Amino acid sequence: MEEVDNIIIHSLRSIGCELDDELTNLKQFSTEVIVATIVKCIKFIKNEVELPSTLPPGMSARFRIGASLANHIQDMGYNGEIGYQTFLYSNETEIRKVFMFLVEKLPKDTTQTSDEPIGASVLLQRAIAAKLHQQMTSPWTPHYLKDRGITWRGKPPSWQREGAACMYNYNSQHLSRPEGLTDLTRKIPKEIRNYYSTSLPFVTNQCRHHRDTFASVIESNTAEVAKQQEWENEWNHSGLASRLSKQEFIDKKKSKIQKMIADRLRQDAKRDSSGTSSLSDLQQVMAAISSRAKTDARTKGSRFAHSEKLLFSKDEDASLAQMSGEIPTKDTEEEQQRKREEEMQSLRDELGELTSKLESLELEIKKFSATQQQLEESINTENRQIDDKESSYNVKKKTMDLLPDAENNIVKLQGVVETSTQRLVTLANKWETHRAPLIQQYRELKSLTSQKESEAQKKLAEIRAFREKMKEVADEVRYKEDLQKQLQSEYERMAKDVNRSAYTRKILEIVANIKKQKQEIDKVLVDTKLIQKEINSLSGKLDRTFTVTDELIFRDAKKDEAVKKAYRFLAALHENCELLISTVEETGVIMREIRDLEDQIENESGKKVLANLEKITQDYQEMKKENSVLMSKLKQKQ
Amino acid sequence: MEFGSSVLEELSIAGDTAHISDQCFNILVTHACQGLLAASNRDDIANDTSFKDTDKGSLKSAYSGLVTLITEATKWDAEPSSIGAVLEECKFTIDRINSFNNIYLAKKPLIQILLGSIGKSPPHIVDVDWRLDYYIKNNHLDKVNQPVYLITLKTEIPGNSELQEIQFSCSMEQLQDLVGKLKDSTKCLEKIGQM
Repeated sequence: MEEVDNIIIHSLRSIGCELDDELTNLKQFSTEVIVATIVKCIKFIKNEVELPSTLPPGMSARFRIGASLANHIQDMGYNGEIGYQTFLYSNETEIRKVFMFLVEKLPKDTTQTSDEPIGASVLLQRAIAAKLHQQMTSPWTPHYLKDRGITWRGKPPSWQREGAACMYNYNSQHLSRPEGLTDLTRKIPKEIRNYYSTSLPFVTNQCRHHRDTFASVIESNTAEVAKQQEWENEWNHSGLASRLSKQEFIDKKKSKIQKMIADRLRQDAKRDSSGTSSLSDLQQVMAAISSRAKTDARTKGSRFAHSEKLLFSKDEDASLAQMSGEIPTKDTEEEQQRKREEEMQSLRDELGELTSKLESLELEIKKFSATQQQLEESINTENRQIDDKESSYNVKKKTMDLLPDAENNIVKLQGVVETSTQRLVTLANKWETHRAPLIQQYRELKSLTSQKESEAQKKLAEIRAFREKMKEVADEVRYKEDLQKQLQSEYERMAKDVNRSAYTRKILEIVANIKKQKQEIDKVLVDTKLIQKEINSLSGKLDRTFTVTDELIFRDAKKDEAVKKAYRFLAALHENCELLISTVEETGVIMREIRDLEDQIENESGKKVLANLEKITQDYQEMKKENSVLMSKLKQKQ
Repeated sequence: MEFGSSVLEELSIAGDTAHISDQCFNILVTHACQGLLAASNRDDIANDTSFKDTDKGSLKSAYSGLVTLITEATKWDAEPSSIGAVLEECKFTIDRINSFNNIYLAKKPLIQILLGSIGKSPPHIVDVDWRLDYYIKNNHLDKVNQPVYLITLKTEIPGNSELQEIQFSCSMEQLQDLVGKLKDSTKCLEKIGQM
């Protein structure tokens, strides 16, 4: 019973009953404690119940409380006998039964363990709740006690941010870091190596504001990860199918994109007829992009020249202005002003003229270049015509030469024609002989390549399948890791709840004990059965031997007097023995009865009848007193 | 928690005893944490004499790798075990993983706060001053006799070290309404906090 009491007391404490630590079993519970705990239990089970949690001093009020408690418990479905006396004049076993019932009825959700793993969102919500709780419970502090809103406090103390003083915007910068140091196959130029080791600042020292370091680091990493993922996707989808090496694929894509941009720009330039100058600029840019490596120096040079030109022209202008300005004039300010304006106007006009001239000249240049191209083309065609004509002239000349000796020449020519046809036939034969094996070879090779192609296709499909599998497995691993993390945290949370494991251990112990006891009982049962069997066999033997001896002695008794006596003795002996046995059996029965009675006595004494009786008489007296007081009050009022 | 291949490369430099010796490693990790935390320590590593024998290029590489790892781990609130998994991939020894975790976990709350303070925030009320005036009369009414509350809310605004003030006056009912609203929101927060 101690185990049961322990469990009951533990669960009572867990719902918030204030019990003394010394209380270890239900025997020690006083009436007040019993009522208080039962009220608490009922309140816990049914939320909206109005019951006073302490016993009132008045006897009638106590009676009423006891009756209402009994009613509540019966409403919940308690089957045993229950009434006000159960609580006010308690006896251990009844109270235990009531408590066991109540503890079973307690809502389980406080110690509920959900079978499903708790989702990440729930964990996050819990973390938020814990943080909020911590911040809600910490006292208010004036802002000047915090270092830009950051404080060190809480229970256990930790750094926390309060307020918005330390907030700043997300602002990232490009970070440069040494690249390719581990790749031994790639040579890093000495200058760059030198730059890495001497001039490049450390990452935390690169941003203009130190606080931007976080944002920059995060951004650079995320950008790289995103780039890799994008590349992986593309390589999986279209890269593998194209059957090019990675580098080739990249080059191809690059050229494709460049071509696309160039096309777009050209189209735009055509549409925008006014922007001729911008067109040439853009074309220049395109040229620079497409052959950056090759023409780097050249474009640089041209740019340099351009700027130089600009500088020179400026200088010239300046010198011109100076020269004009140096002419001494003693006119008034206004005149000077006017003159200057005129000068400016003239210069502007000049500039306009010059630019228009320049434009016209450019146009002319373009025209000239166009005409030049046309001319070149016409020259080419002319040249081709000349060649044609020369060859035809040669043929004609030969035929003319042959004309005088026509017949001979015709015969000769026929011979030549014949030989050539024969040669042609032999060549064709030869060609046939060569062709057959070549064609066969070609066919073989073709089938081989097709085989290879199909194999490659298969392998590609396999690779794709493997990649998909890889991704799936990786996803699964990630999912399982998440799950494991969740379960781990769940487990950590659960581990605090010791009483569950304690319960199971106790239950297991109890079960083991019961098993042992059962075994012993079985042993005893077997023993008693054995003894019973022995007794039975012995009594049978006895009966049989008695009848045999009885018969023998009876036969002889007719002849002999002494034997007669012996027969009488035997009968007496038998009777006495039977008496003895019955007495022994009777004592056994009586002993059992005694034990039963003793048990009953114990039971009765456990019900504290005497004490309860005394209490009842006391309460009765009190009731009487109360009644008399009330009566007297009534009388006074009358 | 994912890293680009260049970061992993840098981390493997940090884990390689050929590049970073064992006694330098702890100092390097400490510097990486400190350099992220405080503007005054941002260039401490450059002046540290214990890295005399280390190649500066690979030191910078390892440093930037560790800084990225610390930032990302804080961003994801990573467990020591998952950090260990990443480091193991970069061929760190168990000793190095443990010492990294020790140094990093001690600094993690601070780094978390610094990371958490990236962002925007509406003005944050930190304090309040009030004054109760009694409004007796005006030119139209000889007897008004109403209390008037003058409330000054002090707010913190991101990026501004001075407190800003928001001033308004209200009648008793309005103030009661305000206080009721505030109490409601407090209760709401408490409810969330007790989940």
